[in-house]
Amino acid sequence: MSRPAGPIHLARLHFKLGTLNELQYRVNFWVQLLNSALNLATGLIAIAVVYNQTDSLGGWTSGQLLAVLGVHVLIGGFLKTFVVPNMWSLIRDVQEGTLDYTLTRPVDSQLIVSIRQINIWSLIDVALGVGVVAWAVTDIQADPSAGDLIAFFVALLCGAAIVYAIWLTAVTIAFKAVDIGDLMQILNGVYEAGRWPVTIYPLWLRGSLTVVIPLAFAITVPAEIISERIEGWWLIAALGVASAALAVSRLIWKWGIRNYSGASA
Amino acid sequence: MRYYRAGMRIGFQREIQYRVRAFLMLFGFMIEPTIYLVVWTSVADAQGGEIAGLTTGTLAAYYIVWTLVRVYNLAYAPDAWEWRIREGRLNEFLSQPIHPFHRDFTFFAGAKFVWTLAWIPVAVFLTLIFDPVFDWAVINVVGFVIALWGGFIVRFLMLYALGMINFWTTRGSAIFGIFIASELVLSGRLVPLELMPQWISDIAAWLPFKWTFQFPIDTFIGRLSPQEIVSGIGFQAFWSIVLGLVFVLVWNRAIRRYGAVGN
Amino acid sequence: MANPLDIPVVVDALSKTFKVPVREAGLGQSVMSLFKREFRDVEAVKEIRFTLDAGEIVGFLGPNGAGKTTTIKMLTGLLFPTAGTARVLGHEPWRREKELLRRIALVMGQRNNLAWDLPAVDSFELNKAIYGIPEDVFQKRKGEYIEILDVADIATKPIRNLSLGERMKMEIVAALLHGPEVLFLDEPTIGLDVTMQRRLRQFILDYNAQNGATVLLTSHYMADVSAMVSRVVVIDHGSILYDGPLAGLSDRFSAHKTIRVEATDLPEDLGQLGRVLERNPARASIEVRREDVSTVAGHLLAVATVTDLAIEETPLEDVIDRVFTSESGGSDDTQN
Repeated sequence: MSRPAGPIHLARLHFKLGTLNELQYRVNFWVQLLNSALNLATGLIAIAVVYNQTDSLGGWTSGQLLAVLGVHVLIGGFLKTFVVPNMWSLIRDVQEGTLDYTLTRPVDSQLIVSIRQINIWSLIDVALGVGVVAWAVTDIQADPSAGDLIAFFVALLCGAAIVYAIWLTAVTIAFKAVDIGDLMQILNGVYEAGRWPVTIYPLWLRGSLTVVIPLAFAITVPAEIISERIEGWWLIAALGVASAALAVSRLIWKWGIRNYSGASA
Repeated sequence: MRYYRAGMRIGFQREIQYRVRAFLMLFGFMIEPTIYLVVWTSVADAQGGEIAGLTTGTLAAYYIVWTLVRVYNLAYAPDAWEWRIREGRLNEFLSQPIHPFHRDFTFFAGAKFVWTLAWIPVAVFLTLIFDPVFDWAVINVVGFVIALWGGFIVRFLMLYALGMINFWTTRGSAIFGIFIASELVLSGRLVPLELMPQWISDIAAWLPFKWTFQFPIDTFIGRLSPQEIVSGIGFQAFWSIVLGLVFVLVWNRAIRRYGAVGN
Repeated sequence: MANPLDIPVVVDALSKTFKVPVREAGLGQSVMSLFKREFRDVEAVKEIRFTLDAGEIVGFLGPNGAGKTTTIKMLTGLLFPTAGTARVLGHEPWRREKELLRRIALVMGQRNNLAWDLPAVDSFELNKAIYGIPEDVFQKRKGEYIEILDVADIATKPIRNLSLGERMKMEIVAALLHGPEVLFLDEPTIGLDVTMQRRLRQFILDYNAQNGATVLLTSHYMADVSAMVSRVVVIDHGSILYDGPLAGLSDRFSAHKTIRVEATDLPEDLGQLGRVLERNPARASIEVRREDVSTVAGHLLAVATVTDLAIEETPLEDVIDRVFTSESGGSDDTQN
């Protein structure tokens, strides 16, 4: 017997199959474009209303806020493309007892449940996010060097890892509470908190979003890096938090699997 | 109707089992208004404590009551119709002597009592943290209770009617997306309509959205005169009737189409 | 006695107890349950023992809630036992070692493994990668199975567009692509029409014949059992009631046989001979105690002009039915 595929190969295979399959449904492109545009529009309206009344929101100018919005949409796109579809599958598996199949495969179960689904059209959000960030950068007339851009990119990767870990941890912990479809709504609500820079939040909220659910590192930090509000060494902190988040989510996953006993029988 | 009492009790019992879910939900509901409150309070502070006639205390009151109104806004989502149709669950409902509307409505109505219970600690917590300013009178509380349920009825009917789209297309979620985005901006959910540009609040006056959100909130925190409260409730009744009629009309055609096209 | 290491499945004193929350009744209790939750113990499986030899197809029978699915879940590593041991191909299943998982397969009726939105062939590709099936072996098996089950035209349709029967065919193909040595089938034919059931049964039988795979099958359908299994393990309320050949099931649990007689001049009072199951002018079925069979048969041959007489076992369904409705599951000797 030849060796089974490694994780990267499996991920690429899932990506290829999922994408090819989804590309058939071109209507979804337009639907997603509409939704993404609306989402972006409401974000821009909110910013506009705020800056209609004031010039500075807790020390943030409109251009800098735009950067936060851009990163928020970008990471949101990542979530909707790679993470959320898998979480829905996972929840469905638990409810219908088909997680059993995943657990009897000779592949790490966390790997399978994290890569098997993909929603290719949500990459539109990623594109829009990049566009808004670019707009923000010109608006504040920052001049990012190559190093800044690399730092930004790495920060984004950390952000992606962090939100993945948050989502997986939340869904795993809710294994036992059946009918947990609104968990996704709640997570979305929490994610909305990342739309604004955490520095304007009261201490308790800022603390929660930095330590408990480190959205601050996922969104505010990359935005601050690209808008040159902070130094690059914050990147180290982001990397640390991302690693810790991934480690925690791994532990929680293993715990969740041990406790799993199927929704039936 | 006797069914309503039974239906609501079942809604209550079902929901109380998922206690974790109720708490999580309320916790989640705390986040959105807290964000808005923090943002607008920041702006108000920068402008000397007040924007467009709203003090920080009023804003705090607005968003705290917001959380309860949000709970009462929960209704059967249009997306769920798509699921119902696709999974063939609709057949179960259609073969019952009671119209699915009653079943869905009473379930949500009953569940609201559970959610209200779960809301109390959230409200206490938020009141302690932010410093809300209320302007109370008995008329406010009474009017509020009516407006709260009125808002629920209007929104329930809105979403229910909207859900009928799913009988004609599987792209219902796109329409729903437009709806939600509009509601966010036009109902007072994002921010009191006074803070919006004039043309937006003008449009909002013609639509049912603000009667589901801003109106109940304003009733409680005391920003409306008794006449405004009464006329507001009248508007809620008006929209309930209109949306109810729309629903009934569309429902009949939807079912006919369902029967023709099948699962 | 086979070398223990060669026995694919060994189960010894295996037990599983669940803690189940007590459901509240009434509004008052519902609110109280917000503060205090009560649990009770449910013994799903109580110290069961059995083994499966290589190449055996064993039927695992029991009513709903008997402990069948719990046992299968323990054997596939999905549940930890509360006590006792089990070994599949020499491994403890709940360690979920990759070497073991590559050699077994699980198929659950009416539960989908294959990706909902993808065509079956794509899922097969995924299986190839996951199980590390060499390309040539993969293509050969895939082609063979698709042809045998006649699913070439639907293999490229998304799973969600297939009927239940078509889906199950695909599930079985996917499950066997990596050539598992032990196959766990949990009600694989449930909800399928008769023709489809037969096809799938035959497919599994062929696979077993060609590969010597060991199969543990749970089913409610007697047809599955009688067509496929050589041995039966009966479980009820978590304990094994019977473990032996299928034919022995009637012997063990049924104290009766059925005499079918055809004659135009049968006596009126057949009820004295035994329990009359069926009675027309020309035919009758009578259930009699085993001990009385020759007496009754002889009597009938003597008093009537018999054109046909057959002595049959009580139908398996009835046997099983009685087993599960009687208290101890001992042989049924209550006479009507």
